[in-house]
Amino acid sequence: MYGYPITPSSEVMHFWAKEACSEQGKKDNLVFLQAEDEISAGFMLLGGILAGTRSFTATAGPGHVLMQDGFSMAEAMRLPIVGYIMMRGGPSTSTVIYSQSETNLTCFGGNGNGYRVVYSVATIQELYDYGIKVFNTAWRYRFPTFLLGDGYLGKTMGEVDIYSPEERGIKMVPTEAYLLEKIRTVPLSDVVPSPNLDSRVVDGVSYDCLRNCLNMEEEALAVNAETKEAWDLAAPNLVEHETAGDPKAPLLVVAHGSVAASAKAALEVLAGRKIKARLFRPITLRPFPEEALRQAAQGAERIFVVESAVNQLSRFVKESLYGRCSAPIVDHFRPSIGIVPNEIAGLVEKNAK
Amino acid sequence: MSEPFKIIICGEGGQGALSVAEILAFAAWLQGKHATATPHFSTEKRGGVSMAYVQISDEPIPFFKFDKADLWVVLSQRSIDRIFSYLQDGTKIIVNSFLVKDVSAIAKWQPHQIDATELAKVELKKPRTFNTIILGAMAALVPGLDRKVFSKALDKHFGTKYAKDAALKALNEKAFDLGYDLMK
Amino acid sequence: MTLLPDNSKAKLAFPKCVRMESKPHLYCPGCGHPEVLKALGFAVDEMGIQQRVAFGIDIGCSLLAWDFFNLDTVETHHGRTIPTMVGFQRANPQSVAIAYVGDGGAYAIGVGGLINAAIRNDNILVIVVNNAVYAMTGGQEAPTTLPGTRVATAPCGADDHYMRAPEMIRNVNPTAFVARGITTIQVQLRKLLKDGLKHVMDNKGFAFIEVLSQCPLNWHTMEKPQETFDYLEKVLAKAYPVKTY
Repeated sequence: MYGYPITPSSEVMHFWAKEACSEQGKKDNLVFLQAEDEISAGFMLLGGILAGTRSFTATAGPGHVLMQDGFSMAEAMRLPIVGYIMMRGGPSTSTVIYSQSETNLTCFGGNGNGYRVVYSVATIQELYDYGIKVFNTAWRYRFPTFLLGDGYLGKTMGEVDIYSPEERGIKMVPTEAYLLEKIRTVPLSDVVPSPNLDSRVVDGVSYDCLRNCLNMEEEALAVNAETKEAWDLAAPNLVEHETAGDPKAPLLVVAHGSVAASAKAALEVLAGRKIKARLFRPITLRPFPEEALRQAAQGAERIFVVESAVNQLSRFVKESLYGRCSAPIVDHFRPSIGIVPNEIAGLVEKNAK
Repeated sequence: MSEPFKIIICGEGGQGALSVAEILAFAAWLQGKHATATPHFSTEKRGGVSMAYVQISDEPIPFFKFDKADLWVVLSQRSIDRIFSYLQDGTKIIVNSFLVKDVSAIAKWQPHQIDATELAKVELKKPRTFNTIILGAMAALVPGLDRKVFSKALDKHFGTKYAKDAALKALNEKAFDLGYDLMK
Repeated sequence: MTLLPDNSKAKLAFPKCVRMESKPHLYCPGCGHPEVLKALGFAVDEMGIQQRVAFGIDIGCSLLAWDFFNLDTVETHHGRTIPTMVGFQRANPQSVAIAYVGDGGAYAIGVGGLINAAIRNDNILVIVVNNAVYAMTGGQEAPTTLPGTRVATAPCGADDHYMRAPEMIRNVNPTAFVARGITTIQVQLRKLLKDGLKHVMDNKGFAFIEVLSQCPLNWHTMEKPQETFDYLEKVLAKAYPVKTY
């Protein structure tokens, strides 16, 4: 891991640092370095990936902004970095507490049409479960992959089932180096967009030259086209969502991350008040579960989008439902502030008709 | 689904509000209950407001944050304003009266005013244990909590400090008992 | 690219590890980079490490070297080559990691990465080709541009401040290999590069070589080679001493 301290993600780094310098950590060849800033951390992370190791970082807020330099290079060259993002207040330094306002940044923070996988987790158990999954998604499909959490999730002390992948029958996807790989089973040309790669074989040894700077418009177009092709193949295997509540309920709440956990609890509150509501929770924000949302929207009389941000989740929702759904959308935007179940229940109740 | 028992504690950065929250949650978990502790603070280690949400339940906790508390604890004067909105009818209150002098705003809840800092200085000769006294008082007011698990919970939290100063363990537990017994 | 007959490398006195398919190179006529790259190629040949080198380049004129060699190469973002190679080398300690960058990338945007790698004594070789200007982007002022020089972003003359990097590196790291070479003395340059490579291969930590280089295009001396080399050897080399620290 390469990282830089920033609340509320630093604990990930503290834990890893302790593991890496322990007896067992040294035996396991765990690598850790705290970089001089997030920009360097992001590029050290790329170096770790180029060397064929499962490399990751954890960041938030202004640090997350700085990391986009490295993340966008990963997008161009199909480097499977893993990032744990613990959203905090914004813009600028703001609070260290919580928000869902880095959704846009996590999904689209690079310059120019890159592709990244983003998992938005709702519970601390999912921090663990998806904390493993992100590495397998990244190395199988070779896209930058993010676990999107928030400061509440990052700082909450609670119960978690800890297990090893083997215990649950999870096979870790093997890694391969981009530079100096001795045994290559996945050709680089299958992964790196062709304008960014020039390999030559001399005496049976392949020398691979990787770049991200291009000369012609057509090359830039080709990078996007090739990446998109790989993305379109991968997306159906990646997309995840969750629903809760009576499928026939006319009131649909859409929320992601820990707000979805709050919304789930709100359904119980509403049931107690005899109001029928259900929840659609996208788990992958990229690829966004458009089809599943369109299905869920059928029969909805009103759709409530609840987020601790302004129009970040809602934009995805509107994009998915455009032209497919006539139910009015009620936005509930609470940037940088937690949304308790009673608040969501009150919102739905007030707008039930 | 029964509601969790909801506790909010607020103080200044460095007063140990978060530690109290964590020990409380951990103790409940040791006893086989479900528990979460979620902190809120401004700057990370020092110099701002520091508060935490704790929930304890026999069933899994649905969401970390809540809007109304069953037990409400303040360690500094300005904390009253900071978390006033979390009060509802029947909320139990504990204040550290060493710093919280003016309780007029919360008088109708009949707050337990404990001069924990003074008690810590006089009875234990260690003012820093004031928050363990507060913890003891809080533990007495959480329904279904067994005081016996707190020794282990305190050990987990202060283990490294105990290793450097063996006398601290007995002192801390005495502080806890002091606070707990005040409520009975 | 023009394909040349098999024994062309020897005939043209190219290092064995160059990639012929990318020749002729794309650098300006008279540029110093090909001379540095040639010296580096010979150093790699002589040390037999073609299959161990991870070659990192920056955005700037160094990017034209992205397919110069048959070496595993990665082009990073501007100023980010050093942390990339630090991250690489720590994950693959058997590699010989090289960061090949310009004075703009190393001393301005990338200086944070440079200083901290030096302080940590990271086991990489950093080669900075110093032509005292941001060349690829059109001749803007660099931290190494000498006082009074007229450049694109200092048309009335560059300010009085300039940066001597090897001296600074020596200050923050007493055991690093630190040297300054010059494109016009090839034999010494090749030796410096070999010494730098050996330093990192022996796991002794940070190796830093700045090479004074000419840029006739941005120095506006394309038609005047004598002026180019006078400026390089008499003016730049006076401000930036060619020596091992």
